[in-house]
Amino acid sequence: MTLHSAFEWLEATPVGIMVRESLWGFPILVAIHIMGLTLSVGTLVWFDLRLLGVSMVRSRASQLYRRIMPWMFTGFAMMFITGGLLLAGFATTAYDNVYFRLKMLALVLAAVNAFFYHRFTERRLAEWDDAAAPPMGARLAGLISICVWACVIMAGRMMSYTMF
Amino acid sequence: MAPVLAWLEGTSVALAVRDSLTLNAVLSAVHLVGFTLTTGGALVANLNLLGVLFRERAAIEVTRPTSRGIAVGLSISVLTGALLFAPRASAAAANGTFQLKMLLLASAVIFHASVHQRVARDDVATPFMRRATAGVGLLLWTGLALAGCAFILLE
Repeated sequence: MTLHSAFEWLEATPVGIMVRESLWGFPILVAIHIMGLTLSVGTLVWFDLRLLGVSMVRSRASQLYRRIMPWMFTGFAMMFITGGLLLAGFATTAYDNVYFRLKMLALVLAAVNAFFYHRFTERRLAEWDDAAAPPMGARLAGLISICVWACVIMAGRMMSYTMF
Repeated sequence: MAPVLAWLEGTSVALAVRDSLTLNAVLSAVHLVGFTLTTGGALVANLNLLGVLFRERAAIEVTRPTSRGIAVGLSISVLTGALLFAPRASAAAANGTFQLKMLLLASAVIFHASVHQRVARDDVATPFMRRATAGVGLLLWTGLALAGCAFILLE
């Protein structure tokens, strides 16, 4: 089964049909998806700014992360669920759309960046947890995260203009 | 009011935006980035005031950075918003959803800059005052987000 045929299958599911044809289904999903931005990226950005040493520098980075984590993960769960549902409605159109592909690529880069941070940079957290100016690795992780998520948001918005 | 809006629609900037779907799209995209920063900051500030986030920190330690975030986010959104508004000024100004969005924007910002800041800095503010302030703030910012969605989705 190719990705394209999987997307065709997705569009033909009852959920996919509902998203495409329902008067309120699509707007409600989009509204939740946009509001989820606040809960996901809107909270994550504060940790990124801490990593950059730009904001909330009096807080321990680890503690800031622990506090934000539940909200952030709830937000991202909302994004992936509503995103998946929206995709189901328009999967084959998305497949051909360059901004959809860019958005997926940016999401992968965000994941890779997060993985690198947690696997390597965070290991030496004790050394810089209290530091107002974290080491280069942490600052880079924060900066890349902000840039990549901005790209995800912008690519997502561009999809609306080029898919319908 | 109407002549000012008509004049605005005739400016070269407005015409440039009107004639380019790509420019509209890019402005809208950047507008959404500003939205995320603004509402994210407002959310963190209000959750803190509510007593559910960063409880161990003094409220003032959270309001200062988040207010800066809100200010930066607003700068981005208001600038891109104005550029998006310019070519369709008359129609937008007459649109009920847009009017509601602007009302909620003004209310949310003024409320945050005045009541929220005062209550956050007040050592003798009761828990009820803090929670009520946070509640109103959350309602206003959520209302703004919904109005924004309604405006783009239902046009």
